[in-house]
Amino acid sequence: MGSRASSLLREEDIEEIKRETGFSHSQITRLYSRFHSLDKGENGALSREDFQRIPELAINPLGDRIINAFFPEGEDQVNFRGFMRTLAHFRPVEDNEKNKNLTSGEPLNSRANKLLFAFRLYDLDRDDKISRDELLQVLRMMVGVNISDEQLGSIADRTIQEADTNGDMCISFSEFTKVLEKVDVEQKMSIRFLH
Amino acid sequence: MPRRKNDVAVTIDDVGMDIDAEYDSGSDVDSKRRAKGRNKPKPAARGRKAKPADSAEESEEEEEEAPRKRKGRKKKEESEEESEEEQRGRRKKAAGSKKKAVAKDDSEEESEAVKGNKRRGGKKGATKKEKEEENNKEKKGNGKAAGKGGKDKQDDKKNKGKNSSSSSSDDNSEDESMSEGEMARLKEEVEEKKKLIATLRNKPWRMKRRLKCLKEAQGFVERFEGALGKGKGRRLYAFKVMMTKKLIKFNRDFENFKTACIPWESRIKEVESHFGSSVASYFIFLRWMYGLNLVLFGFMFGLVVIPEVLMGMPYGSIARKTVPREEQESAMDFSVLFEFGGYCKYSIMFYGYYNNQRSIGLLQFRLPLSYLLVGVGIFGYSLMVVIRTMAKNANEGGDGAEEGAFTFCWKLFTSWDYLIGNPETADNKFASTTTSFKESIVDEQENLKDENIHLRRFLRILANLLILCCLGGSGYLIYYVVKRSQEFAKKDRNELSWLQKNEVEIVMSLLGLVCPPLFEVIAELEDYHPRIALKWQLGRIFALFLGNLYTFLFALFDEVNTKLENEKEIRNETIWALKEYYANYTLYHNVTENIPPPNISPADVIRGPCWETEVGIEFVKLTVSDIQVTYLTILIGDFLRAVIVRFLNYCWCWDLEAGFPSYGEFDISGNVLGLIFNQGMIWMGAFYAPGLVGINVLRLLSSMYYQCWAVMACNVPHERVFKASRSNNFYMGLLLLVLFLSLMPVIYSIMTLPPSFDCGPFSGKDKMFDVITETIEKDLPPFMTDIFGYASNPGLIISAVLLMVLAIYYLNAVSKAYQNANMDLKRKMQMQRDEEKNRRNNKDSTNQVMKDLEDLMPNKSLIPPPSAEETEKPADLLSKSPKVTSKPGAAATGKGVHVQKDVSLAAANPRAPVTRPPGPRPPGPLPGNARGPPPGPQGKGRGRGGPPPRR
Repeated sequence: MGSRASSLLREEDIEEIKRETGFSHSQITRLYSRFHSLDKGENGALSREDFQRIPELAINPLGDRIINAFFPEGEDQVNFRGFMRTLAHFRPVEDNEKNKNLTSGEPLNSRANKLLFAFRLYDLDRDDKISRDELLQVLRMMVGVNISDEQLGSIADRTIQEADTNGDMCISFSEFTKVLEKVDVEQKMSIRFLH
Repeated sequence: MPRRKNDVAVTIDDVGMDIDAEYDSGSDVDSKRRAKGRNKPKPAARGRKAKPADSAEESEEEEEEAPRKRKGRKKKEESEEESEEEQRGRRKKAAGSKKKAVAKDDSEEESEAVKGNKRRGGKKGATKKEKEEENNKEKKGNGKAAGKGGKDKQDDKKNKGKNSSSSSSDDNSEDESMSEGEMARLKEEVEEKKKLIATLRNKPWRMKRRLKCLKEAQGFVERFEGALGKGKGRRLYAFKVMMTKKLIKFNRDFENFKTACIPWESRIKEVESHFGSSVASYFIFLRWMYGLNLVLFGFMFGLVVIPEVLMGMPYGSIARKTVPREEQESAMDFSVLFEFGGYCKYSIMFYGYYNNQRSIGLLQFRLPLSYLLVGVGIFGYSLMVVIRTMAKNANEGGDGAEEGAFTFCWKLFTSWDYLIGNPETADNKFASTTTSFKESIVDEQENLKDENIHLRRFLRILANLLILCCLGGSGYLIYYVVKRSQEFAKKDRNELSWLQKNEVEIVMSLLGLVCPPLFEVIAELEDYHPRIALKWQLGRIFALFLGNLYTFLFALFDEVNTKLENEKEIRNETIWALKEYYANYTLYHNVTENIPPPNISPADVIRGPCWETEVGIEFVKLTVSDIQVTYLTILIGDFLRAVIVRFLNYCWCWDLEAGFPSYGEFDISGNVLGLIFNQGMIWMGAFYAPGLVGINVLRLLSSMYYQCWAVMACNVPHERVFKASRSNNFYMGLLLLVLFLSLMPVIYSIMTLPPSFDCGPFSGKDKMFDVITETIEKDLPPFMTDIFGYASNPGLIISAVLLMVLAIYYLNAVSKAYQNANMDLKRKMQMQRDEEKNRRNNKDSTNQVMKDLEDLMPNKSLIPPPSAEETEKPADLLSKSPKVTSKPGAAATGKGVHVQKDVSLAAANPRAPVTRPPGPRPPGPLPGNARGPPPGPQGKGRGRGGPPPRR
């Protein structure tokens, strides 16, 4: 499977990606064929519209945020390398992980990076803090107009109260980590990629 | 939910409704990666000839599909093997087993600790996935441990890294070389294991661990030797793997199938997502009730009705199975049939139709006995089922309030299920997220409520007084109406108007309609949390209905008594007539023996009133009118109202939807109680009208669809959606009460009232239960009769009762003791966990050798006896935790950290109000610390998940 697609990928690229993301060779070729089929413009890069076509993302209230996560700041195209870099966050954590990526720092699928990915979904302005306004926006995406603004506000306040430890009325990444410390992020933010 | 191929080229195995998608832990990913990583330092073709590509491919496949089951173990092996690899890096085997043992020890301990802790902290409810999850966790733990434990591995690894970069060109020559390496590595592993088995004796471990290791190693060798071997062994292995794979798939499909088989599951889920768990709890209750009734229906029809139909005498053969002459013209009139007179009365539906023949048909089926046993058995079965369900619910426990500190955070950050790809499901999830937010808001508001206690108390007392008045009034009204109806009953039926005939039913239905809303209005005064308010409301309406029910019953008994007197006369008359007939017969024919019975058509026979059938008719009538009222209420009160509000809104002076009539809300309490009392009617009436169970099954079935539709179509969610308590034991408790209450009159009538002399299966007996004594005497061997005779001796019975009372007392005491012990353990666990966490945070440099030594010591607990203040602190914090949380004073000392931990984890009341933001805290575990074990719920429980620390 994916022989056609893999022919378009150069071996060096694969090696590079392999080192960067930890995907296996066949996973990469498979994902490349997937990438290729998503790429309706046939220009080797995905646009936001390409992602919107995925039904899971289309109906997800936070879909836009997820799609955004694929794009580096200020760009609206993502190539295969970038695509894989984002997907690598969802690679299951393995026990022999630490052996290999030590040279390149923390692997992309570590707990911290997974959490950071989730954190970024809520951190709309990328200032490494989730403010009340950002929470409100996310809440609106999630519940729509079914709850009054006042109540949404109180939910946001309450959420910040729960999580905020240093009193700046924002949720920083460390506070975010603390909130989710009991959540089995390694497992929940993992996808079993096919080989 | 159906599994579907995700569009991002991923497959996810289990898609839960919430965010509990589990990834099918990556053993396959693993093996591959391992292969890739590991075979780098080694020469690829080591010790093994290159195989044809396809076979290599195949073996790799096998490797990949290796069953989940062995995952857990395999992980362990890996970690061990990892440490061994490290050794290999040190130029193989020479450098002592000492080091190895240490490293291994460490990693394994770590993993164990992780496992134990996770299990203890196991808050995830996905029970069926537990095993799998555990494996994953274990794996992770191992990973971490390995990463941490082998610090000295680093340089080694660097070497490897270099190696790999240099040799990368040759080793990425596609899959075959990889699988080749895989095979080689696997073989090596097996060798290692074998060696381990051989040298295990020399290891400085405790016996338990040695045994464990040995078992694991043996299992491993056994499993993988086959894979490595050639020819037959290999094929066998492949076959095994395939079968396990198939089995797993089958199990999964079966699980899905089972879920799909739960009736109305999706319907209820839909309702739940829009209306909250409280409304859904009614439907779940309804479904449960339907199941119960199906079983009762099975008993009744299988053992009583069907035999009578098939083997009993046909209609018209004897008097009790024939419509009497004077009623025959009107027997088919709708008005008569509608009141269950005419042909209905003399049909299989009612008690009177059944014959008192001792046994019927070819099979010698003892119908009267069966009738009695089924009548009593229905109660027995229901009691058993209700109590069992209650016990099960109690085990699950919890009153619905979420524990944990970060309710809102978790809701906000984790509520969406990212795997939903179906728009409808997305809609539902959307609604349910909203609903759950609303539920939490209500809970929260309740906590924040600032109250004036005296006013509140006064209002509550007032409300209760008012409600008591209402109840008394309605009770009297019913009594009065019943009295009146008895008077009417003495008059001729045709003189009475429709109103007079149905007065009782009308009054009872009206009361049922008027009182509950009235109570609700009064309950506004009390201002309880909706969940508690619902219980009160239920209790009150229950009292109302109960009053109704019992007045109704007493009236019925009055009627029965008059009927009984009436019957006595008729009986005498019949006997008199019979005697006269015989006398005349002897007179005319001059025969004294073999006199043929009087030749009268069964329709003309003089017959008694047959009070049992009358009672049965009353119950059936009540049930049917109840159905009518319920359905009409829904149709008018909900549907019509919704239609009017919706469409008249275009041309109305005020906003109908937001203003006065608005849409209806689903009335949980009314519906639940309606269901419960209906069931009470069924239980009571089933003995006198076997057909009633069938009617009820139809009713429940139709009402499931009807009400689901009505709720979704014309109701709006409650203003304050609240979370139902997880166990609907309150409903069950009410049901149990009703069951008990309805059991009494039936048992009373069976034991004391004389059955009618000319109708029903017990005619001719003094008491109904005589059937049993008769059976015992005639059908059982005499010694059994003796035994029963002794058993019914009052002395024996009294002592048996005494014994049971004692047993109850004892069990009660024991359960209390367990409860206490439970609470105690829980508290201890909490404290221990906090302590451990704290300790780890403070003391990073954990000495591995020390640990190892400690593992060998008999007392495995590493925890030092806690200092006095440390133990005291949490205890008194527990009582006033919410306040302490917001105390900004806790400074950045180690002590401060400890206090924080205690509060956040052991908060006595998790729903405590947060009135102001908590003050600055010392930073917890540093994020830069991520290399070390995360600050999560994994502690260093050395006790192997065993007993709490001694203190």
